[in-house]
Amino acid sequence: MIQKLVNILLVEDDLVDVMNVKRAFAKNNIKNELFVAGNGVEALEMLNNMIVPLPRIIILDINMPKMNGIEFLKNLRDTENLKNISVFVMTTSNEDSDKFDAYNLNVAGYILKPLSFENFIASVATLKDFWQLCEM
Amino acid sequence: MRNYNILLVDSCKTDIEYTKNAFSVLDIKHTLYTAETEIQAWAMLQGNNKLTPLPEILIIDINEEGINGIDLLRKIRIHPDLKSILVFVITAADNEENRIAAINLNIAGYFRKPIEKKNFPDFFSILNDYWNLVEFPSKK
Repeated sequence: MIQKLVNILLVEDDLVDVMNVKRAFAKNNIKNELFVAGNGVEALEMLNNMIVPLPRIIILDINMPKMNGIEFLKNLRDTENLKNISVFVMTTSNEDSDKFDAYNLNVAGYILKPLSFENFIASVATLKDFWQLCEM
Repeated sequence: MRNYNILLVDSCKTDIEYTKNAFSVLDIKHTLYTAETEIQAWAMLQGNNKLTPLPEILIIDINEEGINGIDLLRKIRIHPDLKSILVFVITAADNEENRIAAINLNIAGYFRKPIEKKNFPDFFSILNDYWNLVEFPSKK
């Protein structure tokens, strides 16, 4: 699906992680347009008010102010025109309860944020290969 | 790296063999179970042959004549013990209706099935890298 250059929305409050994702996209030559929301409330506003074009992929952090990733996911799955978006969780939370909640809300994958930037690039490379194989 | 249970539902015996071969060539450590029909698959998920622990990953082939993977997927998505399974749909058929139905059921990915034996390892190498990237809750 990456060839068709679907839009990607990153929902992330940590500016360093936003920068890491942008840099890892550049390093992996991912040309898809990347939009950023700072938390779940902001992301829902952007999606519901069509401030951003409808993304096919959302990369979602869990621990965020105002509305965390799980609450955001519940809202997303309850909204008719948003419920089928592919969501990839990328978080530092290694809690079983977060993994369980995320998979019950049918995320496409739950990924732990790599600690080093090298591993961050490698994880995004794996995601890129996976997205390229998908027909979405 | 953890070992996951993977259930492949595919009505084509040859493709099941090619998949097993790819797992062996790639030295994939996850445990592969296979079912050739929806009924067999359901028995392994909820019936007499129930797998313990339940698979974390399901690969369903959707084709025109054989398995109607969409019906199986719908049953899985409404079952409290099964709804969280990560589902990958593979198909050799060009069917837009099935693709949209599968995506609306929040699958992890919809894939064109490799045709020749030699292409299976490349295909499963990418999927295996992805499976090794993602985390699942601890097995109970």
